[in-house]
Amino acid sequence: MIFYLALPFLAVGMVVLQSTVASVLFSGWFLLEASLVLVIYAGFRLDVVRGLLLAFVMGFVFDCLSGSVVGLFTVIYMLIFLCAFYVSLRMVTEKLYLIALFSLACALLEALLVVLFYHLTYDIDLFSSLLPVFLPQALLISILSAGFFHVMRRIEGFFYGKSVQPPQRA
Amino acid sequence: MFFKNYRIVIFIVALFVVALIMLSYHVKYDGGTGFVKKLVLQAAAPLQAALSSTVRTIGDSWTRYVYLVDLQEENAALKRSIHDINAELVLYKEGYLEALRLRQHLALQDEYDHQMIAARVIGRQQAAISKTILINKGSLHGLKTGMPVLTPPGLIGRLTDVSWNSSRVLLLTDESSNVDVVLQRTRVQGILKGAGPRGCTIKYVSKMQDVKEGDIVVSSGTSNVFPKGLLIGVVNSVDRRDVGLFIKIRVTPFVDLSKLEEALVLITQAPGHPQEKQKETK
Repeated sequence: MIFYLALPFLAVGMVVLQSTVASVLFSGWFLLEASLVLVIYAGFRLDVVRGLLLAFVMGFVFDCLSGSVVGLFTVIYMLIFLCAFYVSLRMVTEKLYLIALFSLACALLEALLVVLFYHLTYDIDLFSSLLPVFLPQALLISILSAGFFHVMRRIEGFFYGKSVQPPQRA
Repeated sequence: MFFKNYRIVIFIVALFVVALIMLSYHVKYDGGTGFVKKLVLQAAAPLQAALSSTVRTIGDSWTRYVYLVDLQEENAALKRSIHDINAELVLYKEGYLEALRLRQHLALQDEYDHQMIAARVIGRQQAAISKTILINKGSLHGLKTGMPVLTPPGLIGRLTDVSWNSSRVLLLTDESSNVDVVLQRTRVQGILKGAGPRGCTIKYVSKMQDVKEGDIVVSSGTSNVFPKGLLIGVVNSVDRRDVGLFIKIRVTPFVDLSKLEEALVLITQAPGHPQEKQKETK
């Protein structure tokens, strides 16, 4: 119950924090999309109901605060969560390079969906931003993701004595 | 039994349906600032203000200790002064040109009676696709969606979402931002469109037109969204080699949009503005 009550606040806090940090570090050029990393992490660690709800709320808050069309990142985050969940059935998170690669793929998928959506819906051409903006951002996410998984594994180890990836997935 | 067996699938499908309905509704009707969106903005504003304030304080302290304090302050003051003088000069020039034109036609009185509300920038939401800032004033202070937002010396954007105590400003550099502009020197008109980190571009200016680097860009006031003559930026490159009818013009905004701290919201619009018309009819 605490999870469901805390979720909206966690989402707002996370999105605000990531945008503040990004504006300090990158002056608005890139976004440090920690919310996406959290969704990927949820895909590997949470069950479908809680994870999908987390992706939904995180995407919705991101839509509201970033100024994008409401619903766009909600759908994308849910898709990425399902991808992560599916992949978690076949991949062990001990291998950080695989996590980094998977996160890179997710970030690129997100970028591609956003570019295609804006192109098809509003005829806004963002293809020129793919290389200078979205690619560095995707690389950043993959590095951040590997670091995040590593830290979380340590924390899980500290509290539970071992990683908590569900045994049927590992 | 069926629902019990497939409850996870039903849950997934239901959430996707909700998200897709939201998306299609906002695409089709441009939903504006709904209640939930207002709540999220309202909840984010204090957190964003606290974080930005902390970050700014740390940044300021760092800058003060690392660099030579006196020299930096003097430099900042001189830059401010040059900025102000330049802005004033350009404004005078704009006024002079306008007066010349008006003298040729009729002596027209300036219809605009500007009133501004000062607001503090409490956060930046600058994703790759959208460039917006959050300010600490909202509908309780008289702000409405669509109002122009300025920072000396010029225009920075307009309000897109207004909550009770905070609002979001769509910056000029946002890819979906469009402003009717005119080049001050030649009165050539065009549409200024955001180009993300690369600043802005002016669209739909014919290759026959006289446009040079360094030309000052001001709002034309034709769409009745932005008042006429607001400073916007300066032309930094003109490319006529592109295949097509129009010139590729890149514009650098006068205001450094990555370092905004305060903003002014123009609350009084021209009499021709739709909101003013509504008031008159009421």
